Amino acid sequence: MTGFFQIVIGGLLQGGVFAAVALGFSLVYRVTGVVNLSQGAFCVLGAMAMYYFQVAFGWPTPIAAAASVVSVVAFGLIVGATTFVPAVAKLPVSSTLVLTAGLLTFFEGVALIVWGNQPYALPPFSGEAPVSFGALRVPSQGLWLAGGIAAMILALWFLVYRTALGRALQACAENAMAARLMGIDTPRMMLLSFGLAAAIGASSGLLVAPITSLQFDSGGFFTTSGFIAVAIGGMGSFAGSIVGGLLLGVAEQLAAYYVSSLFANTLALLLLLAMLLWRPNGMFSSGPVRRVDVRSDAVVHRALIRLPDGRLVALGLGLLVVLGVLPVLPLPNGVLSSLTISMILFIAVLGLDVLMGWAGQVSLGQAGFMAIGGYTAAILATNYDWSPLAGVAAGMALSIACALALSLVTGQLRGHYLALATLTFGLLVDSLTVGLINVTGGPSGLVGIPSFSLGSFDFDTSARMYWLALGVAAVAVFILEGGMRSQFGRALQAVRTDQLAAAALGVNVGRVKLAALCISSALASLSGSLYAFNFHFLSPEMVATPRSFEMIAMLVLGGEGTLVGGLFGALVLTMLPTLVQGLALYKTAAEGALLVATFLYLPEGLFGRFAMLLSRVGRRAAPVKGAPAP
Amino acid sequence: MTTPALEVAAVSRRFGGLLAVDGVTFSIAQGGLSALIGPNGAGKTTLFNAITNLFPPTSGEVRFMGRSLTGLDARRIAGLGLIRTFQTARVFPGMTVLENALAGAHMHVGATALAQMFRLPGARAEERALRDKAGALLDLIGLSAFRDAAATDLPMGAQKNLEVVRALMANPRMLLLDEPAAGLNDSETADLAALLTAIRDIGVTIMVVEHNMSLVMGIADQVIVLDAGKLVAIGAPADIQADRRVIEAYVGLED
Ligand SMILES: Nc1ncnc2c1ncn2[C@@H]1O[C@H](COP(=O)(O)OP(=O)(O)OP(=O)(O)O)[C@@H](O)[C@H]1O
Ligand SMILES: [Mg+2]
Repeated sequence: MTGFFQIVIGGLLQGGVFAAVALGFSLVYRVTGVVNLSQGAFCVLGAMAMYYFQVAFGWPTPIAAAASVVSVVAFGLIVGATTFVPAVAKLPVSSTLVLTAGLLTFFEGVALIVWGNQPYALPPFSGEAPVSFGALRVPSQGLWLAGGIAAMILALWFLVYRTALGRALQACAENAMAARLMGIDTPRMMLLSFGLAAAIGASSGLLVAPITSLQFDSGGFFTTSGFIAVAIGGMGSFAGSIVGGLLLGVAEQLAAYYVSSLFANTLALLLLLAMLLWRPNGMFSSGPVRRVDVRSDAVVHRALIRLPDGRLVALGLGLLVVLGVLPVLPLPNGVLSSLTISMILFIAVLGLDVLMGWAGQVSLGQAGFMAIGGYTAAILATNYDWSPLAGVAAGMALSIACALALSLVTGQLRGHYLALATLTFGLLVDSLTVGLINVTGGPSGLVGIPSFSLGSFDFDTSARMYWLALGVAAVAVFILEGGMRSQFGRALQAVRTDQLAAAALGVNVGRVKLAALCISSALASLSGSLYAFNFHFLSPEMVATPRSFEMIAMLVLGGEGTLVGGLFGALVLTMLPTLVQGLALYKTAAEGALLVATFLYLPEGLFGRFAMLLSRVGRRAAPVKGAPAP
Repeated sequence: MTTPALEVAAVSRRFGGLLAVDGVTFSIAQGGLSALIGPNGAGKTTLFNAITNLFPPTSGEVRFMGRSLTGLDARRIAGLGLIRTFQTARVFPGMTVLENALAGAHMHVGATALAQMFRLPGARAEERALRDKAGALLDLIGLSAFRDAAATDLPMGAQKNLEVVRALMANPRMLLLDEPAAGLNDSETADLAALLTAIRDIGVTIMVVEHNMSLVMGIADQVIVLDAGKLVAIGAPADIQADRRVIEAYVGLED
């Protein structure tokens, strides 16, 4: 029995941190209506700052802690003021959500640059000796953690419910427009919520760092755990965040002890998917019921890019020829294999474009389908002597089956709940690829994957693999372009911009979304299979959730809704570190920063901008803007 | 006697404490052109929303061509041939004027998504035919010069016209138009009136919410007057104009 309580106490401590992160989520969500996925990164930044002030500079603990929180909040405020707050004002909610995924990547990249990639553990505040309560033993740091988080919750409660500032924050949460009319500076309140969330994150990070060692990308872990907690508890509900966090912590510890530590996360994610299915608003739902006959999202003003047929064909063929001759040119070392990787990733990004760019369904789980395709094809070809082609087909079939299952959950969901369900799906696949050691080889990966082959023809050189990927991508683009220029593409766009008006014209909104999801998952799966055959090796982190974020960055950078655009995003993000060796360390930060900057300053993307120039040149006398003469 | 196109039987719609539509009953004959009028906030849009189950009636029943609409979602209602437009134009942003019109034909596209992707001859022929039809309708309403412009770049009045074209592309049996003339000038309103009568003449039943009395009196064969959620009067335009209750409902609001 003592053992059980010992586990519950461990779970409550762990859950306390989740609760703190969840509180940060809820706070920002209430004021801005956006789920800020970068929340977890503040924990790592806080711990990192603490490491410098306390260990490297030797400052006393309280001063170091205060200095850490202050510096993280200052950094958070600068980033928030230049990116997050402007984004909330001018981007639709789903784009802002993706932007915060970019911020998470950016913060992780910053931590990587400053901290390197080793895990760090901080010294406990008051020695290593645990405190005993009868037979129970609690690490002394656990008391600091519990006390610190309790104090934070109280302070937050006091601020929100007992001060004028809190009332202003609440007014923004209830009705931003009314708050504005009352003279409340809503952007300042948004920034304030962001800063407070940074403070909560930094404090809980430096409190927990002595118990769990952290590394630069632990932010993703805190974000996902905090997010699971808040989704269980109810987005925007403070009580829900705390209960959800504690519940999750205890459930994970119990699962780790009584089932298997490899599946602790899996169980939590399944719990969450069930929760999303059963009560999408969580246990403590909060949030206004909106009029559904008005558009819930800001109108998506995206560039209207329509190339005349002739130009389109010329552009496509030109591109194909240029890309096709690349392997016969004398390229520097490593360039061809990077090109191949870009091309393979582009296939998955293409699917993402159909789903996100055309149908407007944000997916944060695209890498999950890559993993399904990659592992299925690789395992069948390696262990069961299937032909690679049959393996690829099996992977695609399984991916589509998973997409259909996922749609049972996501079918009911919209906006950020949809995005979060796909994130959950991706994380679930992550945890399975790590956990199912007997099938996937676990964390150390799957080795000895054969080359792709068709009949007796082996794609065993870089050039052959590149041409294969190029061919597949070209065919996929050609087919999709045909669909996008017909009723199917119009239905996707109608669903993206106005589901209500689409349904009123007889569009089966659910089926259109499902079709987009199936196309997207099939292409991701195909890409994942080619990826595995290309490397002759596949490990979980090659197709894990950060890859999903990377592919979103590629899509946005290249240009959503352009099909071909993703190729340029994939090329930029894959080739830059290859061409400029010294950049590898900065890749993560640059990826995040590029995603954020593109969203804010070049919403049509690199290729989108290029195509706009081209289509403008193509328009001669035909009036583009303006009204019919009165 | 043929079944009426639309039968509204004791329909009410409540929003919290507000009874926005209050026990309204009327029917519309097939092939008719009815106007729904009433002061601001009378519940006209709410009645449309109740008919199309966007905000389903809290009580009462709606039948279309003799078939009850209770429990049907927007898509199924559209599938029966009852197509509506919105008071604030809801053209699809990010699509051209022509594409918006084409989007209306969704239910009548026979080619599967795969056939469209693989550019099969049948799918291409169908697409060409739809483009021709949409082009002709845009021409009819004076929008053909703007077919490749972004739909949201059009002024409000033109966007509402585009919405009517989009609705027509759906081959409706009945159209519910919510203030289609808002934002149009006099000559454009006259064009719209001609278009609406032409649509009626090809056999499409129309019910239109309209504030412009001369438009209403000129084209409608039946006028339904709503005030504070209640049906005040129903009858031929000439009778309605003489009805004291209608004038009362409008005192200070309309000339
Ligand atoms: N979704 C809703 N939630 C709450 N109240 C609503 C809703 N829709 C309409 N109402 C209320 O119902 C009443 C009728 O509104 P409705 O829009 O139907 O009037 P209307 O006759 O179309 O007016 P107008 O001529 O201004 O378009 C109004 O008081 C309005 O505020
Ligand atoms: Mg109205």
